[in-house]
Amino acid sequence: MQPQTANRPSRPAAGRVASLREAAGEWFPFGLAPLLILAMTVAAGAYLLLHPAGRGRADLRMWTFANTHWDAYRKAAGQFARDANARVAVELVHTTAVTSRLRAAFWTGKNIPDLAEVEITWAGTFFTGPVEQIGFVDLRPYLVRDGLLDKIVSARLAPYTHRGRIFGVPHDVHPVMLAYRRDLFARYGIDANELTTWEEFIAAGRRVTVARGGSGDVYMINLAATASHSFEVFLFQRGGGYFNAAGEVIIDDDLAVDTLKWYTRLLAGPNRIAADPGMDGPGWVNSVQDGLCLTFICPDWKARMTELQVPALSGRMGLMPLPAFSPGGRRTSTWGGTMIGITAPCRDKDLAWRWLKQIYLDPAAAGKLMESTGILPSYREAWRLPQVSRPVAYWGGQRILADYARLADTVPAEHTSPYSELVKGQVGTAIANAVAYYRRRGEAGFDRFVRRELSALAAGVRDKQRRNPF
Amino acid sequence: MTGGSTSSPRRAARAPYVFLTPFFVTFLVFGLYPIIRSIVLSFFITYGPRSQTFVGLGNFAFMLGDPDFWIAVRNTAVFAAASLLIQLPLSLALALALNRRRLAGRGTLRLAYFSPRLVGMVFVGVIFRLLFEGRGLLTTVSHALFGTDLNSSMLDSPSFVMPALVLTSLWLYVGFNMIYFLAALQAVDETLYEAALVDGANAWQRFLHVTLPGIKHVTVFVVVLSTIGSFQLFELPYLLLGNGPGAGKAGLTVVMYLYQSGFISGDLGFASAIGWTLVAAVMVLALVQMRLSGTLRKEA
Repeated sequence: MQPQTANRPSRPAAGRVASLREAAGEWFPFGLAPLLILAMTVAAGAYLLLHPAGRGRADLRMWTFANTHWDAYRKAAGQFARDANARVAVELVHTTAVTSRLRAAFWTGKNIPDLAEVEITWAGTFFTGPVEQIGFVDLRPYLVRDGLLDKIVSARLAPYTHRGRIFGVPHDVHPVMLAYRRDLFARYGIDANELTTWEEFIAAGRRVTVARGGSGDVYMINLAATASHSFEVFLFQRGGGYFNAAGEVIIDDDLAVDTLKWYTRLLAGPNRIAADPGMDGPGWVNSVQDGLCLTFICPDWKARMTELQVPALSGRMGLMPLPAFSPGGRRTSTWGGTMIGITAPCRDKDLAWRWLKQIYLDPAAAGKLMESTGILPSYREAWRLPQVSRPVAYWGGQRILADYARLADTVPAEHTSPYSELVKGQVGTAIANAVAYYRRRGEAGFDRFVRRELSALAAGVRDKQRRNPF
Repeated sequence: MTGGSTSSPRRAARAPYVFLTPFFVTFLVFGLYPIIRSIVLSFFITYGPRSQTFVGLGNFAFMLGDPDFWIAVRNTAVFAAASLLIQLPLSLALALALNRRRLAGRGTLRLAYFSPRLVGMVFVGVIFRLLFEGRGLLTTVSHALFGTDLNSSMLDSPSFVMPALVLTSLWLYVGFNMIYFLAALQAVDETLYEAALVDGANAWQRFLHVTLPGIKHVTVFVVVLSTIGSFQLFELPYLLLGNGPGAGKAGLTVVMYLYQSGFISGDLGFASAIGWTLVAAVMVLALVQMRLSGTLRKEA
């Protein structure tokens, strides 16, 4: 009885399906299921064609890779909608994906945003190829027209300037200071104000590290032994670089050789004062918290990162300018950076420029961004904002943004190239090799080894540059 | 009752072609065209798809003279050798152990050993990266056992990058390959073992003369598949080593070299040349393996 009862209501439905099948079969002979699949495919395809990805009803689309930027820009977009009567869709794209997606977009001409933020290491890869095919617009005419060129730290325009054109406006300056544990400096009798040269810093480091028998439980500074990011801070501080303004590789010049030798001796050998617990992640957090490394290289973005990731050290941290390589020398360097560019296919470049100015080159907006990111903008007018002089409890009441601002105009220029990422990776390898060599053989043949490493590296890059006709 | 049954015979005859059309269109657009295009591209220096200059065999010549290419070849070959010599014997040993009928919890153990494959490469890469971090689990164990540096990531040491890749791939693939061997072992005729036992063969002799010949075809299949997979190694070092070739380029593989050339430097032509060289190398290796195992002769 039960099956009959259960089947009863489904009979009309089964009949409807059967008649639907028959009707469909008259003009589509392959059955109802393939017909439904085909219908869904056509419907989905039509939807995608009629609603191209992303743009929606926005007048401008922008890609950013930083969460903090995304938050700030979305808030600014509300204001922009009221002021300019234009909608901006700010899309967060993962750091790793943004460059590959942007490159693919430029190559295919599809799904290109109107504006995009690009990280400094990758920026150069977008400036290669024939000039007319570069995906970003030359912003020099806009900067000159609005009298903004002189209001941006000129050294920060260098990474985004290629063949005389400025393809990006720098978001930041990223001056570098040294973060140190105030409590541990006091315990070991180190006065941060007295460490004005690297020589003095190293001497203090040896007092701590070597005097403890090289036990490995405390080091003066955290440096990368297999990557280029902390090495380049010193190279830039000394006025060197990977490339010169003409895009020629200079990583094998005397300055680079000398810097690599100096750097290696900090990481290896009997007078070692540095350890490499990593520059982020749990290893780095532990090293700061446990006092493994008394100092670490700290651009403005890392200061905020430290506050967030090592909250337990609130009030026990301090920031000091980098010691100079010679008395009276430069007390800072630079690490990292972000540019914003307007893409060539952008339909309303004036509107895009207006939006760019609102988020990068307007003191009030820059101030808001500075509050959320802790990053000093490249636009000098913003350095006079009250939030720059605000004391920060985490750093023992130090006015850290004001300290960064004081150093900002002396940051060295970093020249980029389409080969920047390649060279940085290879310099990391050269550092690892130099450290391994120095651990094994010390000073014997060390100069020759370092020269050979860097010469081979530079020769490889020059080969690649030579065979590239674009 | 289907639409097909009510249609004319002519329509029905067209049906297979209609059903095959989506595959062929997809294959032509996403399979055949890129293959032909990449052959053509390998003779050009390019920047993206629109700028190109003909260089003949220049890409191949430059590649053979580039030290990075040879580093990538060496690393890939070392990884492939480790896969064959460590991973496959372990898979086979595991399969033999889990093929025993009297083993308690056999099904659960099979699932446990196979499960790393289910979580995916990205997850595995991220997890192992954390384990190898300074003061991570494996770093702490290594420090306790061998006195290695506790505070540095093990992946920062050029000499540890390849062992780390091999170790991670073992975790990922030993259980996966075990399934192939397990299936093959279950297909070996039981009566052969009984006959060997009657003839007085010991366990090793039974393994050598019954088991191994019985699973030979699957073994060849797994060896060829593992070799090809090893030569395509990309995601694991890419994730484990933070999007790069790792310390001392010890994690630079041929496919990573291809990726860097094509998608970072923008030279799709050079990347195509690397890709076709890889295809040729893998084909030769697979043929040699099949020839050595006698599979080709039997197929002929």
